[in-house]
Amino acid sequence: MSAATTGAVPEVPSGSLIRKIAWHWRYDEKRELWIGWWTLVVFYNLYGLLFFVIARTQPPPKPSLAPSEIVQWFDNRHYGLLYGYAIVFIVGGATAIMNATLAYTMRRMSVSRAFAYSYLVIYALATLPGMLIMGVACTVGAMRPDRDPELMSWLYDFAFLSFEGTMGVFLIGSLVWMLAVLLDRNRVFPKWFGYLNLCNALTEVVVAPAWIFKRGVFAWDGAIAWWINMAVFVTYTSVFLTLLRRMIVREDFGTGPLPELESDGALEPAAALEEAR
Amino acid sequence: MTPVASAEPRADAPDERAAAGERTERVRFVPGQPDMWVFVLFEALVFTSYFTVYVVRRTQSAELFLQSQAHLDLRVGVFNTLVLLVSSWSVARCVQAAREGSVRTALTNAYLTMLFGFVFLVSKVLEWATEIDQGFSFTTDEFFSFYYFLTAIHFLHLLIGFVALGVAVYQIKSPARRSQELVETCATYWHTIDFLWVLIFALLYVMR
Repeated sequence: MSAATTGAVPEVPSGSLIRKIAWHWRYDEKRELWIGWWTLVVFYNLYGLLFFVIARTQPPPKPSLAPSEIVQWFDNRHYGLLYGYAIVFIVGGATAIMNATLAYTMRRMSVSRAFAYSYLVIYALATLPGMLIMGVACTVGAMRPDRDPELMSWLYDFAFLSFEGTMGVFLIGSLVWMLAVLLDRNRVFPKWFGYLNLCNALTEVVVAPAWIFKRGVFAWDGAIAWWINMAVFVTYTSVFLTLLRRMIVREDFGTGPLPELESDGALEPAAALEEAR
Repeated sequence: MTPVASAEPRADAPDERAAAGERTERVRFVPGQPDMWVFVLFEALVFTSYFTVYVVRRTQSAELFLQSQAHLDLRVGVFNTLVLLVSSWSVARCVQAAREGSVRTALTNAYLTMLFGFVFLVSKVLEWATEIDQGFSFTTDEFFSFYYFLTAIHFLHLLIGFVALGVAVYQIKSPARRSQELVETCATYWHTIDFLWVLIFALLYVMR
């Protein structure tokens, strides 16, 4: 892990935030894990900002737009699509750090390393339907607004069907995490999080009808295919970010069960120290 | 559903009483892992949102929903419901037998639950085939879209239920690894499937 000092570690400075950050950067043995966690937090917030506010591709538009309306849709978001997805392409590499941090949790479990490796591979693949294909398709549409409207319709469908409709990789990723959590004996995550992974995986199936319907609740902008799924996804993401933070605080870099937090009824000096930090 | 039970320090266990001190409140617990109840509550919320969307859409197109609903065979829905209710009964008997250490009875009831689950799956596939044969598919109209969606997502939950029953059988079979908590956790999942079906049955087949 991080290069901790060999001498006595000074107290965490009180007062300015910069001094606290500097202390953690220099002395915190969990520095890399915290970098991973903050990368996740910043990325998901940025992801929301870019997709919902700047590019304005979420909530998704109607799948039933006529070709002329689709051309207008691209025109209305011209700069948002170009600049928004330019930032997406730049920060997309952060997913490597995020996936590594999540795979680390599986390495810390008592289960086979195959779980962590499977998770890494499946989520490396997930960046394609999860953001890159849509980014490329929307940028290509925005860059050449004078194309044949039929071609613009093709790009529009390609962008949204790839983003909203291809959830297979996320389904398998959630199931891998679920199995790892349920089989783990090191108490890295609570078992209920394993079951929550199953809930998340099941909602990934629900988007499949988006390939068939252009209108209604099962279309890619529908109440069931998008709104309910998004509510589940936001809940799931918030939960795993919170649990991941707790896991890092509890981490003792050992191989056995993770110590519990003092607040959970078990006093472990190392964990208590981390909580104090 | 396996009932919520309560426990308190035994009167003939002075050590336990001493440990509990003057505390007189009853310690409540739920069957199986409490973690599974998070799944139950979360799935109940997700399905409630599906049902809400269904009811709203039904209110907006009442005539269409009524006409399409008339093509469903209520007897099939009743049969499905009875089969799943009986399967819930057998899985509850499995839990009870496992608690009492009657391995053979517990296994028999677990296999019976699987059998009832299988009967449900077959009858559901036959019902789908009949509807499709009559020209009512997933895209026929909004009612049938909901019908296939809700029954299919429930079908998927039931398939996962077979994995849960498999885990229960695996646990019951060996005294070395037997975990009553896991058996009850699997039974809780199975009861949830049954509970969700009863709501789906009421909405799709009965509600007018």
